[in-house]
Amino acid sequence: MRYLRLLSVFYKYSLLKELEYRVNFISNIFMSVFWVGWGILGVSIFFLHRDSMGDWSFPEVLMVVGLFTLFTGVMEAFLRPNVGAVIEQIRDGTFDFVLTKPINAQFIASLRTIVFWRLADVLIGLSIIVYALGQLHAAPSIGQIAFFVVMLASGAVIVYSIWLMMVSLAFWFVKIDNIAELFYAFYEAGRYPVTIYRGAVRALLTFVVPVAFVTTFPASALLGKIDVTTTLTGFAFAIGLFIASNRFWNFALTHYASASS
Amino acid sequence: MPLAMANTIIQVDHLCKYYQVHQKEPGLIGSLKSFVARKYSDVKAVDDVSFAIDAGEVVGFLGPNGAGKTTTLKVLSGLLYPTRGVARVLDFTPHERRAAFLRNITLVMGQKQQLNWDLPAMDTFLVNAAIYEIPDEQFKKTLAELTELLELTPLLKKQVRKLSLGERMKCELSAALLHRPQVLFLDEPTIGLDVTMQTKIRQFIADYNARYGATIILTSHYMADVTALCKRVIVIDHGKLLYDGDLHALAEKIAPHKLIRVEFSQPLNGQRLAEYGEVVKERGQRAELLIPRDQTSQVAARMLAELPIADVTIEEPPIEDVITRVFEQAARARAERGESDENDNDE
Repeated sequence: MRYLRLLSVFYKYSLLKELEYRVNFISNIFMSVFWVGWGILGVSIFFLHRDSMGDWSFPEVLMVVGLFTLFTGVMEAFLRPNVGAVIEQIRDGTFDFVLTKPINAQFIASLRTIVFWRLADVLIGLSIIVYALGQLHAAPSIGQIAFFVVMLASGAVIVYSIWLMMVSLAFWFVKIDNIAELFYAFYEAGRYPVTIYRGAVRALLTFVVPVAFVTTFPASALLGKIDVTTTLTGFAFAIGLFIASNRFWNFALTHYASASS
Repeated sequence: MPLAMANTIIQVDHLCKYYQVHQKEPGLIGSLKSFVARKYSDVKAVDDVSFAIDAGEVVGFLGPNGAGKTTTLKVLSGLLYPTRGVARVLDFTPHERRAAFLRNITLVMGQKQQLNWDLPAMDTFLVNAAIYEIPDEQFKKTLAELTELLELTPLLKKQVRKLSLGERMKCELSAALLHRPQVLFLDEPTIGLDVTMQTKIRQFIADYNARYGATIILTSHYMADVTALCKRVIVIDHGKLLYDGDLHALAEKIAPHKLIRVEFSQPLNGQRLAEYGEVVKERGQRAELLIPRDQTSQVAARMLAELPIADVTIEEPPIEDVITRVFEQAARARAERGESDENDNDE
């Protein structure tokens, strides 16, 4: 309860902060639309020449693109400005102010701000998904929607946990921006269904940089390509990884050296 | 806590904090070597330091850069795990970072800021009020007090990035004190400020201490901060405690001299000042001499009798000089023991 109230305070001031820069706010939304359009264009060109990508049809791939857009929104709105910013805070020592507050450090570090205009990506992504479903003339059942939600939530938790562990390394090595860049590079590969990749690359995209969990798997759930076992496995994987990342984070905190003032 | 007396707020026993740093020879070859195979060595930022501070005390931490002052404050505020030894603050172990502990302390660092750059300071205050769960009534009251003491009114609604350094420091202090902490760790709170602003901040710290009986540890490079606020000082160098006690007693213990300032009624003709004591300064008809503490009155009497003196004052040497002398003595002692100065890096 208390933490929910805190969140509302945090996000109120995040919004205020963005509204300080009106032009930025509006131009950023145009940027989002542009990038999504660019992504769809790429897929469309591909399908001008082929009928399927792997065993995915055009609307199915479109759905993955929609999910990729949606999750990019989640990542840029929640993860990058929070967990992603911890590396910088460790380097300049302002992480001190996170640690001296009487609330859970992981909570502040993970949810302190939100970049509101990035939620536009979430809406655009959802629209693409709905449009793709229309093209398929498929109305997903309640069960499929439930699998989809569980899969997507698990995917979000998995990406968060891996990011948190990555950031925790900064408590020892301080400068690890390149690891973050690498993560992004692989994440980009998730805009297409991972089943089009083979062997090692597919394993990498599923377990090391688990974009499959946020794009391909939820799309599969919505398309009825995934069963209960897979969904529950994904869920269990998410819980396990979350606990592991929390442990690792707490361990890493004991190695905080706090940049000199 | 069984060991300490009831009103001991901060208790530090044999505290050590070592950092591992990698050593690098200068130049490209050195960098390459260090990239391939790193040599690590321990830097003893804090080395076996013990002290206790009672409720309501204002204690000055003195020491050159890299002495271990900031590291000690960071251990006490729970940011760093001690390598060895015990630190207790308000009956808590700081590095456990219990909410009840963090709620009652604050750490202010002159060189780091918690205020949100893009928002007015008031917004950061409100976020902190939510984090510390400050009841509305108390928030209003505390804010009113801070506004009065620090003249905040024109500042609160401006974007922080548009404030001057001094104005920002006032707001930083306020943000750090809204929850009325009982223990304040102030690390260089006046750094970079002009003299007027320094005086104001100093006055504010004294007021806060008087009003809430808060316990305060202060580090500063400005001796004036320390002499104005702290009766007691703790002097650290190279991670070791050199002195803990009354500021003025330090002068007596360390500086075995007093300073005699004389003004002559006419130019001296041939008399040599050096036979009275060590001449520090001689310009025109004014001079300053260092006289051994126990001979001060005799020498002064002799000078009055033998020289054409218009005015004479006897003073303690400036505290800056005393402190410098402490560090010189410590460095000499280290050199005699054959220790190197490898700890001369930032803390």
